[in-house]
Amino acid sequence: MWITMGPQHPMTHGLWTLRVKVDGETVVDTEAELGYIHRGVEKIAEARDFTQVTPYCDRLCYVSAMTWANSYIYAAEDLLEVDVPERAEYIRLISAEIQRLASHLMWLGAFGPDIGNLTLMTWCMRDREMFLDLLQELGGSRMHYNYPRIGGVKRDLPVGFADRTRAKVKLFEQRIKEYEMMLDQSTIWLVRLQGVGYTRAEDMVNSGVSGPNVRAAGVNYDVRWAHPYSVYDQVDWEPAVEKPTSVKGADCYDRYRVRMEEMVQSCKMVLDALDKIPGGANTHYSTGDEMILTKAPTRAPEGATGFSNYECTRGASKFYIEGGGDGRGKNPYRLSIRSPMFITIPYVAKTMIGYKVADIPAIMGSFDPCIGETDR
Amino acid sequence: MDDKYDLRSLFIGEDSLIHDLVTSGLEGTPLEDSSSNIAFGLGTFAVVNIVFLLLFFSQFAILWIERKAVARMNDRRGATTALRSLWVGENGVTGGEWWNMLPFGLGRPVGAVNKWLNKRFGNRSEEFETVDRVNNRSWMGLSILPGFFQNVADGMKFLIKEHMVPRRADKLIFEVSPFLIVSTTLIILGMIPLSSGMYATNPDLSILYIIAIFGIAPIGVFFAGWASNNKYTLIGGIRSAAQLTAYEIPLLLSLLAVAMLSGTFNIIDSVHFQHTAGAWNLFLMPLGAALFLITMIAEVERVPFDMPEAEAELVEGWWTEYGGMRFGMLFMAEYIRTYAACFLFTHFFLGGWHLPFQGTIGQIPYLGDAYLLIPGALVVLIKAWLVFLIVFVWARFSLARIRTDQILEFGWRMLLPLAVLQVVLAALYRLYLFDVEGMSDTVAGGSAWEAFGIPFLIPALTTILWLAIFFLLLNDTGKNQDEERMYHVQTVQPAGTHTPGQD
Amino acid sequence: MSITSEQNEAAASAFLEQAEERFGGSGVAVSIEHHSNAVKFAFVRMTCPPQHWVALAKWMRFDAGINYCSMVTGTHYPEGGDRTWGLVYHFLRQPIRDVEPFTSDVLKAERLEGMDIPLEVEVLIDLPDGREPSVPSIQSIWIGADWNEKETWDLVGIKFEGHKNMHRVLNPHDSPEGFHPLQKQHKIRYHDYNEMYDDAQGFVRKPADEGRVK
Repeated sequence: MWITMGPQHPMTHGLWTLRVKVDGETVVDTEAELGYIHRGVEKIAEARDFTQVTPYCDRLCYVSAMTWANSYIYAAEDLLEVDVPERAEYIRLISAEIQRLASHLMWLGAFGPDIGNLTLMTWCMRDREMFLDLLQELGGSRMHYNYPRIGGVKRDLPVGFADRTRAKVKLFEQRIKEYEMMLDQSTIWLVRLQGVGYTRAEDMVNSGVSGPNVRAAGVNYDVRWAHPYSVYDQVDWEPAVEKPTSVKGADCYDRYRVRMEEMVQSCKMVLDALDKIPGGANTHYSTGDEMILTKAPTRAPEGATGFSNYECTRGASKFYIEGGGDGRGKNPYRLSIRSPMFITIPYVAKTMIGYKVADIPAIMGSFDPCIGETDR
Repeated sequence: MDDKYDLRSLFIGEDSLIHDLVTSGLEGTPLEDSSSNIAFGLGTFAVVNIVFLLLFFSQFAILWIERKAVARMNDRRGATTALRSLWVGENGVTGGEWWNMLPFGLGRPVGAVNKWLNKRFGNRSEEFETVDRVNNRSWMGLSILPGFFQNVADGMKFLIKEHMVPRRADKLIFEVSPFLIVSTTLIILGMIPLSSGMYATNPDLSILYIIAIFGIAPIGVFFAGWASNNKYTLIGGIRSAAQLTAYEIPLLLSLLAVAMLSGTFNIIDSVHFQHTAGAWNLFLMPLGAALFLITMIAEVERVPFDMPEAEAELVEGWWTEYGGMRFGMLFMAEYIRTYAACFLFTHFFLGGWHLPFQGTIGQIPYLGDAYLLIPGALVVLIKAWLVFLIVFVWARFSLARIRTDQILEFGWRMLLPLAVLQVVLAALYRLYLFDVEGMSDTVAGGSAWEAFGIPFLIPALTTILWLAIFFLLLNDTGKNQDEERMYHVQTVQPAGTHTPGQD
Repeated sequence: MSITSEQNEAAASAFLEQAEERFGGSGVAVSIEHHSNAVKFAFVRMTCPPQHWVALAKWMRFDAGINYCSMVTGTHYPEGGDRTWGLVYHFLRQPIRDVEPFTSDVLKAERLEGMDIPLEVEVLIDLPDGREPSVPSIQSIWIGADWNEKETWDLVGIKFEGHKNMHRVLNPHDSPEGFHPLQKQHKIRYHDYNEMYDDAQGFVRKPADEGRVK
């Protein structure tokens, strides 16, 4: 019997269809259908200036907008051959890691109710508010910031931002312990997540899965150190990796723990970066100052290409831009976006085979899908 | 011991008010001969209505507790549900310093304790600016039950929503099943006494009757799941039927244990027994009480057992296709069943309308009389609400959902043997440890559970024994790695302590 | 803490040597390019004629350790001549292996060497005008290429021979045959606020048939 989960469904974390063939309660086959919110960003970008593309990239994965905008900006900087001042790199790191915290909290806030723990939704939303407030100070709005610019960032850290960030991050580090107390010491939570949704590292790599999902299988491969792009090697952090407990690979519990650990690491990174930022965290340079922004060329000649490999919250996001578009090179000729979730969702659909219907939200939620970036 | 306030004697019986009124009113009329029958009819009608309406409308307290009280605790006062965060919460802002609201400065020691706890265990940056949160928003300036009328508004909302029947649904059964479920649930409310003098009806075998009625609802659930012509509801209905069937049996067995211990199948007599024998059943059979609660949570399909209506996969499970007031009735029926479960727990295990330490305090000259003036109905209601808050609501907001096959395994393989064990223990207690001579119906209660001359030794020992077992079981022994990590194993390493790259 | 540029250069040159040894002179051009962003790392760019593509792909997967197919980009150049259709494949060599239970693979970046150093590889395939653009599919070599190829066909129109179960993935399933939005004959342009609104703030929208010749 084929059940259609979606496109409107509380579980799917976005707008896509998962068709599941069940035999009683056991899943026998699955099929994923995407494309419901395909907005044609790649085509739209061919009619936009390089700076005008940035807001579109925010809306790719709306939950994790800062990282996607950064990802595009690195590709554009490769294309236009721009150097970024170090302070701007630090600010990008801080904003990306705060965004990672907010995104993982959103994930947890959706994952908990999937498993049944409705309280997590309220806790995580409340804690995420703290970080959305911080990002609002930077970018002007809570979810779509349009904050990074080619060659730097739009404006500097506001006055007092560092103090507020430190207070909130320190409070949150205590809160993570509360989450763990509620979840990891609950047998029900463990029983639902352990032993479900096994994935092996080499299978995942072959299928193109990246990011926290692969790190759950015991391999600490992270784009931030493997293809370094910002000042991550100057900040004190470690990639979060979890040891799998079975030869079958990582289960949902490992993927959940990886993201909890990542939140802890992001907190550390933010605090450390605030201490190490050149120019001090309390100085505020005016918009356009050379400490935070280098003037970038606006045209890219034909034949130039730019590529960026970036660790988004859900995996490795890559942008490939070819120059030489309309307006004598003002627009990109081709903007190609590689979304980690686009590859992961069909892989996850195959992972569910053999488990029960009740495990579908557990497995799906543990991979943290976001359809905005999948469908672009 | 009977409660002081006897509603039934006001309405029913030869020397009741109604009887006098009706007899005197019908004197001289042709109906004079049947005046006592008419009085009986009127009196019964009045009593039944009063009790039922009291029960039904006091349910708003349940809804308020579930939806508002906890949410407000979380949100407005800054506390989260883990006890630890009562002091980790946002400090320095009045919204978080809820103790300042207590009158006469009673809250200042609480504030001092909180401050110390925060220093010792909490956010150490007292001088940093912290998070601003929503302040207390009471209702028109009064902090009385904020959010109370939301539930009334919800009920009215259901009334105006559209009622749809799916196209190829089995219409008759689709319409019948909400009525089946709701009507059987409401019948239970008729059986539940609010005190010894305030009950609608009291058949001899009321325990049996209540459980039988409780068990009809699964049929209605399965009807609803099947008749909606929807794969989701079908899965939900089947899961529900399996789960409810599996948990009926431990429920019945634990109630059988109560009946055995009390020596009667009547609710009111079993409440009396708890007073005349001297100890509440909770202390005599804690295992049975725990079983009762767990199986009741499963019977009313609340988290952690709400797989049949799991929103994550099944939208609303077997309720999905119902709209408007039918959904409202099903929603209400779940809460009525929960409320009935709380009442049953109160009567069977917590001594019903008897106040705590009624025997001891009742004997103190003036204080005892004042203590006994508290109406039994109020005591029952408060106990039921507390049971709801502490057991049902707390379990709901801290636990996740268990998967259906795990629920069934838990019910059949773990609860059923424990229930049988409890029945055996109850029989043993009644036969060998019970002292019939010690029963007494006075204010002081009896002391039928003494051994070696120490009164209340048996309940005390029982409670201590089971608490000890509970704490022993609470300590997970499986902290080390197991090959196929399944149930009771802790996390391999907590977050923040693992240094990848080093180990 | 991160891969150093020496490791990166070493990996790129080692790969370059291997590739030249295996494919030198057969039409496959290999070169080392550098990014212009971030830390300006090196990557390997290969240009491959379509007939050698499967062989190159197999060599990369099984001999050179490229285990991750990340991106397939198709582009349409209408007046391209020899390069009417361009395909760009991005691959990564990642040092990821299955681990024993209860262990984690400790990858100390500074100590990685040889084939373990992560490496980016870019493969360009140009398809000339005059025939249906088609390229052998590498679906069986990397599973990650599967949906990437579906998307490329769906949006750009490049066919992948040997690809099983090709279907529309982002466009609706019932899109017309031959409709591939990213081809350049489908025009798209930017409507700025002067064109759409009467005022600068964007409150008063112009009517929908503004500017149309009536």
